[in-house]
Amino acid sequence: MEQIIQVTILGIGLGGVFALMGSGLSLVFGVMRIVNLAHPSLIIAGAFTAYWGFRLWGIDPLVMLPVATLLLAAIGVLLYKIFFERNAKSATYSEMTVLLTFAIAMIIEGALGAMFSNTQRVTSPSYATDAFFLGDIFIPKGQLYAGMVSMLIIGLLAAFLKYSRLGYAIRATTQNRDAAALLGVNVNMVGLMSFAIGIGLAGAAGALTSFVFSFFPAKHWEWIAVLMSLVVMGGMGSIVGTVVASFGLSIVAAFVGAYVGSTWSTMTFFLALFLVLLFRPQGLFGEKPELL
Amino acid sequence: MKSQMIDSTPGDVLSARAAYNERLARLADKTRAVWFPLAILVILLVLPLLQFVGNYNYMLHLVLLTASYVAMAAGWNILGGFAGYISLGHNVFFAIGGYFAGMILARFGISAIIMAPVAGLVAAAFGYAIGLITLRVRGPAFIISSIAMVMIARLLFDNWHFVGGANGVTLPAPNLSSQWAKLPYYYAMVAIAAVTVWSSYRIKHSKFGLGLRAISKDEIKAESAGIDTRFYKVTAFAISAFFIGMTGAVWGEYLTYIRPSIFLVILIAANMVLMCILGGKGTVAGPVIGAVLLVAFNEFFVAMMGASELNILGTGVIMAVMLMFFPLGIVGTLALKGKLPRILNWD
Repeated sequence: MEQIIQVTILGIGLGGVFALMGSGLSLVFGVMRIVNLAHPSLIIAGAFTAYWGFRLWGIDPLVMLPVATLLLAAIGVLLYKIFFERNAKSATYSEMTVLLTFAIAMIIEGALGAMFSNTQRVTSPSYATDAFFLGDIFIPKGQLYAGMVSMLIIGLLAAFLKYSRLGYAIRATTQNRDAAALLGVNVNMVGLMSFAIGIGLAGAAGALTSFVFSFFPAKHWEWIAVLMSLVVMGGMGSIVGTVVASFGLSIVAAFVGAYVGSTWSTMTFFLALFLVLLFRPQGLFGEKPELL
Repeated sequence: MKSQMIDSTPGDVLSARAAYNERLARLADKTRAVWFPLAILVILLVLPLLQFVGNYNYMLHLVLLTASYVAMAAGWNILGGFAGYISLGHNVFFAIGGYFAGMILARFGISAIIMAPVAGLVAAAFGYAIGLITLRVRGPAFIISSIAMVMIARLLFDNWHFVGGANGVTLPAPNLSSQWAKLPYYYAMVAIAAVTVWSSYRIKHSKFGLGLRAISKDEIKAESAGIDTRFYKVTAFAISAFFIGMTGAVWGEYLTYIRPSIFLVILIAANMVLMCILGGKGTVAGPVIGAVLLVAFNEFFVAMMGASELNILGTGVIMAVMLMFFPLGIVGTLALKGKLPRILNWD
């Protein structure tokens, strides 16, 4: 019994971080219809921001989080201006943007690798290796804080989407781009803003990731399929779905890791991705098969 | 005009159409230069004679590498170019071919060059089975599922102790002098590349290829026109897996070891895509030109910078630039402008 509770807690801890990683990806897909394969590499860029902040000046990664968010949001604006604005009307847009984001992922990986080398790194504030003990059950502090901060950010994001004017426009554009444009929404501006927010969320997720996982520039390939499984399972574009899928799959993965073997825990995500694509391509919360 | 149409019999119409088609075919023949690829092939076949007068192992290695890239890119092109299904996971079949032939070599001592067609068939069987599953979705969903395919394969091969896990297996090296050690692999790879390019030409000009092109343009219309799209797609997947599997078989023995980190890295899949985009997706000459350019570019970069990280960066930059400005690739863009030189018109 205790082991089951323990494993569930560890799964929830991971789920919190994955939820933030996936929600930015989901937002960008919802508004822009871009399957952003560069998202994990941008998360790594955010992680490096927090890492160097801690290494050089001893700034806590949680304090570096806003810095990483703003920096990555700026990079997002740049990427949007360079790569996506001109292509919005291309006929093979969705496939082309997948390949384009794949290329961007390689550019970022190569740049980070050339600058910082491909060694494993982890930011190590005191709480990263500490834990709370409740009887025999322990809760790792790093994951707890990361999960709480990530829930806070997702809550802010949800409130922003629900109540702000720009949030209305973003939701309208997600539902129907043409109709939103017809009603006076500046869809290009909305696209730019949501892309910046989505990449900014990657930066925030990176700052949290930097003390939860060890990372190196080439690691983002391992995350692409994991994040895709969360976003596809939740229903591309549905942030609620992404969060639910993150927690669900992370808990299952934690159980697989505990009872089958730790090497196989990531297999959960890949198999889930396959099964969802095959049997319910619109995901848990998607309304229509977007990807078909 | 009207009376003329009424007067003409069906026979007249048919013969007029036959004449018209023949004229089109002759026109196409006139702009095509079959001698050029054949000449390249002949040159490549006699090239190893240089070994009698000196040591050209590095050059032979480059040709071999290019040939393997040509075979992989042309194989990928059958699914990605003709049918329009972009896969970022075709290195799985590279690994399957390499591991199958490599394990046969390690256990029974049968050379991978002999086993290459069998390895290709094994890869094709896997391709058929995987295609039945993943080809149910298209567009971005297919691309994502292909990446997941690589991740699953990597995890399985890394943990499969029979094939050595993450450390892989060392294969026996051929007992030839270093002067001639590359030759068997050289000829095998050139032959595989030639067969692949020739097959992709034949496929493009067959009814099967026409069906694939119809699928890439509009799958629903193709289906309603009576094309068995599922069978066509899965067969194309299996054929492309076959050629890539054969390449993997020879490549594994050439390197004398097989290891997941050689075959199942995403850069190999990216290179296949990049070569086709560079040269021109869906053309016969495109993958060949793409492969030559990629090898030249890689050698240049390694010689100039020597860093694999910058190599990844450069690959990404070239891919992005091509996608943004020349999505049709070199051959496609030149053909669109009517400026394609005759020697590059292999379609």
